[in-house]
Amino acid sequence: MKYIDYMRLNPFQRFWYNFSTAMKAFPGKLKAFFVAIGRFFVKFFTGIGKAVAGYVSRFIKGDWAVKISYIIMGFGNMVKGQFIKGLLFLGLQIAFIAYFVFFGWGYLQKFPTLGTVEQGMQVNPATGGYELMAGDNSMLILLYGVLTIVLTAIFLAIYFASTKSAYAVAQQVAAGEKPESFKQEVVDLFDKKFHITLLAFPTLTISAFTILPLIFMILIAFTNYNKAHLAPGKLFTWVGFDTFSEIFAMTEGASKGATFVELTKWTLIWAVFATVLNYLFGMILALMINKKGIKLKALWRTLFVITVAVPQFVTLLLMNQMLQEDGAINVLLISLGIVDKGIRFINSTALVARITVLVVNCWIGIPYTILITSGILMNIPADLYESATIDGAGPVRSFFSITLPYMLFVTTPYLITNFIGNVNNFNVIYLLTNGGPTTENLYQAGYTDLLVTWLFKLTMNSQDYNLAAAVGILVFIVCATLSLITFNLTKSAKNEEEFS
Amino acid sequence: MKRIFALILAVLMMSTLFVGCNGDTDGGAAATGLEPEAGATLKVWAPDAALETFKGQCEAFIAQYPDAGIKIEVVAQGEGDAATNVLNDPDAAADVFSFVCDQLNRLNDAGVIMPVNTNLAGDVTARNSEESVTAATLNDLLLAYPETGDNGYFLYYDKSLVTDEDAKTLEGVFEACRKANKKFIMDAGNGFYSCIFPFTGGLKIEGLEGEDNDVQKFNDYDEAEVVATLEAFAKLFHEYSDIFFSAEVAKIPSGFAEDPSTVAAGIDGSWDAAAIKNVLGDNFGAVKLPTINVNGEDKQMISLHGYKLLGVNARSKYPNAAQLLADYLSGEACQLERAEKNSWGPSNTVAAASEAATSNVAIKAALDQSLYSIPQINMSSTFWDPMGTLGNNLFKEEAKYDTETLTALLDKTIANIRDE
Amino acid sequence: MIKSYKLRRGLANTLVYLVLAVLGLIWISPLVYLVLHSFRDEGLATVSYLIPKTYSFRNYIELFTDTATLNFPRWFMNTLVVAIFSCIISTLAVLMVSYSFSRLRFKARKPLINIGMILGMFPGFMTMIAIYYLLKAMGLTQTLVALVICYSAGAGLGYQISKGFFDTIPRALDEAATIDGATRNQIFWKIILPMSKPIVVYTVLTSFIGPWTDFILAKIIMGDMRDNYTVAIGLQTMVSLEFKATYFKRFLAGSVVVAVPISILFLFMQRYYVEGVTAGGVKG
Repeated sequence: MKYIDYMRLNPFQRFWYNFSTAMKAFPGKLKAFFVAIGRFFVKFFTGIGKAVAGYVSRFIKGDWAVKISYIIMGFGNMVKGQFIKGLLFLGLQIAFIAYFVFFGWGYLQKFPTLGTVEQGMQVNPATGGYELMAGDNSMLILLYGVLTIVLTAIFLAIYFASTKSAYAVAQQVAAGEKPESFKQEVVDLFDKKFHITLLAFPTLTISAFTILPLIFMILIAFTNYNKAHLAPGKLFTWVGFDTFSEIFAMTEGASKGATFVELTKWTLIWAVFATVLNYLFGMILALMINKKGIKLKALWRTLFVITVAVPQFVTLLLMNQMLQEDGAINVLLISLGIVDKGIRFINSTALVARITVLVVNCWIGIPYTILITSGILMNIPADLYESATIDGAGPVRSFFSITLPYMLFVTTPYLITNFIGNVNNFNVIYLLTNGGPTTENLYQAGYTDLLVTWLFKLTMNSQDYNLAAAVGILVFIVCATLSLITFNLTKSAKNEEEFS
Repeated sequence: MKRIFALILAVLMMSTLFVGCNGDTDGGAAATGLEPEAGATLKVWAPDAALETFKGQCEAFIAQYPDAGIKIEVVAQGEGDAATNVLNDPDAAADVFSFVCDQLNRLNDAGVIMPVNTNLAGDVTARNSEESVTAATLNDLLLAYPETGDNGYFLYYDKSLVTDEDAKTLEGVFEACRKANKKFIMDAGNGFYSCIFPFTGGLKIEGLEGEDNDVQKFNDYDEAEVVATLEAFAKLFHEYSDIFFSAEVAKIPSGFAEDPSTVAAGIDGSWDAAAIKNVLGDNFGAVKLPTINVNGEDKQMISLHGYKLLGVNARSKYPNAAQLLADYLSGEACQLERAEKNSWGPSNTVAAASEAATSNVAIKAALDQSLYSIPQINMSSTFWDPMGTLGNNLFKEEAKYDTETLTALLDKTIANIRDE
Repeated sequence: MIKSYKLRRGLANTLVYLVLAVLGLIWISPLVYLVLHSFRDEGLATVSYLIPKTYSFRNYIELFTDTATLNFPRWFMNTLVVAIFSCIISTLAVLMVSYSFSRLRFKARKPLINIGMILGMFPGFMTMIAIYYLLKAMGLTQTLVALVICYSAGAGLGYQISKGFFDTIPRALDEAATIDGATRNQIFWKIILPMSKPIVVYTVLTSFIGPWTDFILAKIIMGDMRDNYTVAIGLQTMVSLEFKATYFKRFLAGSVVVAVPISILFLFMQRYYVEGVTAGGVKG
């Protein structure tokens, strides 16, 4: 379709056009996604190969100062006048060696086995007391081993950079140029290389407190860290992919299998309804608040949005109290004469409990939708509505033929994140119903349990940390693949640089 | 590891024999050859409710060893999640910590609890009730020092509405509640309380079994009898559905406190005793659980009963001082003081028979109930959910409660607990 | 014709007012319930009627004066300090990351954007113990500094919305400034930042709220150090089995005390919040 044809479509048709092309593109995107991942690895390893080749050739071609820089970092820079830079390199080297010798190596050498000496206890005949014969702590070996590996990798990267820099400065001097002064490099960091300055700090903290713990967790899935191997009393060790096969075996038994199927169904229903209801009703409310001629807009919006300010665990706990058989809502219903006896909202039948959690989730989620959509709704060109009114469209029709398609088109990424968030909506279920009402037909689960809450209950309650980690990885793979593809799809539909 | 265990066991048995031969020792440190390390600094975890009492007792302990220069810090930490906190970081955890006995398996599996000193074990065993010692023992090894005998639940009632005679049978309690038009509350959908129903019918848990030692073992129960008991409970709950409420236990003190009160009786634990006593005053009634009539026979309701234990951190820097302190804090004098000041039921047999314990209505109720109870030890993590479901199915209006349905429910519950 | 149109619109508006009033009531009533019962004088944890019979400030007074066991005022100050610091650091981190992703072009940009997006999708429940031991290796456990680090360390990952916002600022501005000899550093501070009030407010608000609501990670880090608890752990403690019967009313009062400053912030900054999220949130 040519651009001019596209422009002639009404927004609704445009949405369908975009939607269907996106769907048609999906299998291709999926393939492209995995090809891209493959390419990334190929690139990564050829990059390393090239780096090593350059490393060797620079050593051969470089002068004596460059050669010494291969052992004493920054030497080449210092000799050629880049004193501060050289000193920085040297300082880093000394710090890393100190870390490695005094801390890292002790853990790293045990990393392949995760420890061999098991803790024991022995009676001391003199006092009659037990004495601890401390053993290896597999968990700390794993964690600090990962830390050491990551730090070593970073150090190696800096080391490569330092040899490169020593060689470069030697070349400059040999060519008769003046080596770049430290001041100039600092200036560059605020201009040409500003991204390095900006990203250095966040990258550092994210690596330390997000990526490193994640690697740790991922690795736990490949060990037998479970209730039979609790640190520090017992050792655990590498078991390869056993944990993953255990997960699939876990859902095989008759009652577990049935539970798995039932909860998968409910998780999907929940995610779809929770996302769609919040989205639709939130938008309708936002439209109402922003409708022409409605006064006190700020007041109305505040009325809804103020609920966001109370911490979620407080509101959920309060809701749980209010929904009890003798809770506030039932007291109200009884005094209004609507029911005779309290309704057990979260503890009777599956249907009642499920509707209840969906409704409560609306109460929590709609204010966010109002916040996010009201601005966008105002941006919808008014002439679209005007022409629709002239055509005789009522508010309902213009909602479905103008507002909804426009909003869907603009907020697809938000919807997707929301959907994924709902699949993993641990908080609401855990704090509101804890999965209940329970039933003897499901294994260790209730009717409102989501797949994640069930699997986490199964694994965390019985301290099967390796299983829990593996579940986390599987959930992550599904979510990450889905969202990477969809985000890139919507991105390609709209040019990222359209405002440039 | 097994060999080490065997060794420990042998030493332990020999030492118990040795202590036994020696006859009565006064339990003092002198007999054990155990001396606190000079300058020992200890941290103790005690629950908020008894924090001040513990502080005073620790002072008294320090005074026993004036030359040792011991320092003790008492820090508030609930017993309910002590194991979680010790396991998070054993090195930063307290040297002596108070915990509920069902956490013993976890603490032992992770190797963070130091078994009771072999020279003290005989005395600890002798001075505490058999049930509390059982609760502190795993694989025949005494792992912790019993601290209380009463971490369980029993019947609270308002004496102005429910007579002592009414409180003897569940039927009587319900009838009195109906007459007063006030609620009877128990958390019947929570496995901790709902296990009463099958336990009363003769079901018992008997430790763990299986390859990984994580499958709950049950006794050879008489299915017909258990089902008949469940049926009797269900019938009663349906018959009295106007006054029987299943709700969290915090509603019980709240209901007593309302003006006019909305609750006449309920099943709650020792932790709410002070609050309820405060509200009901002279009308405060607490007694062991009532009986229920099953096919013409009055059956005593059987509960799940926990004990609070004191554990010594295996990583304590001053293990001797820590062991002596745990021994002291779990001793007769300290238990007696806590019974007086905090209404904690003693596990110590002498303290339990004392005036302070027997005259305290709540302690007496808890200790009486402990005679009709299953100890809360060696429990699988899969126990709670299915047991709660069973409870739910007994009182729900829409639930059927004929023999056939209940038999199926019981089978399914046990299968779900045992992961079959 | 005009008259009937006016009539119809008037009717429609009345209907909208009605719906808004009913729904607004539904939305606000749990909060009203919360506030009313936080002033309730009689009874213990719960009562079996809707409207309290007697009111007093007792719960609030006890919350702030009976500090021997649960020291709420101290926890409140802790949380405030942590929230302020982590909010400053987080905001800086978010702006730095999103500015470089949006305005600067460098080799690793695309892969970093993708990695940043998916990192946040890992369920974090097993990583907490790792974070604890990393902090322990730095000697920071049981301190407020540790909390500030935890809440702001990963903040850079929340770059999407503000990147979307920066994307909407015409690049021609940058180019003009570059020709005038401005460095990128100067462009960031002097041109982009002054135009970004909505997104700064949005980021400040979202990162300020975090410390008031997290009770899981904070509890693991603080362990038995009650003096350094935050209000979220404190409130959670008040509804534990041991405290619930006697402390529930104070829990309600505490929740109100926590909600008030956040609500006020929200009320004043709502407009910017909407602007920021609107401009930034909709682009992929």
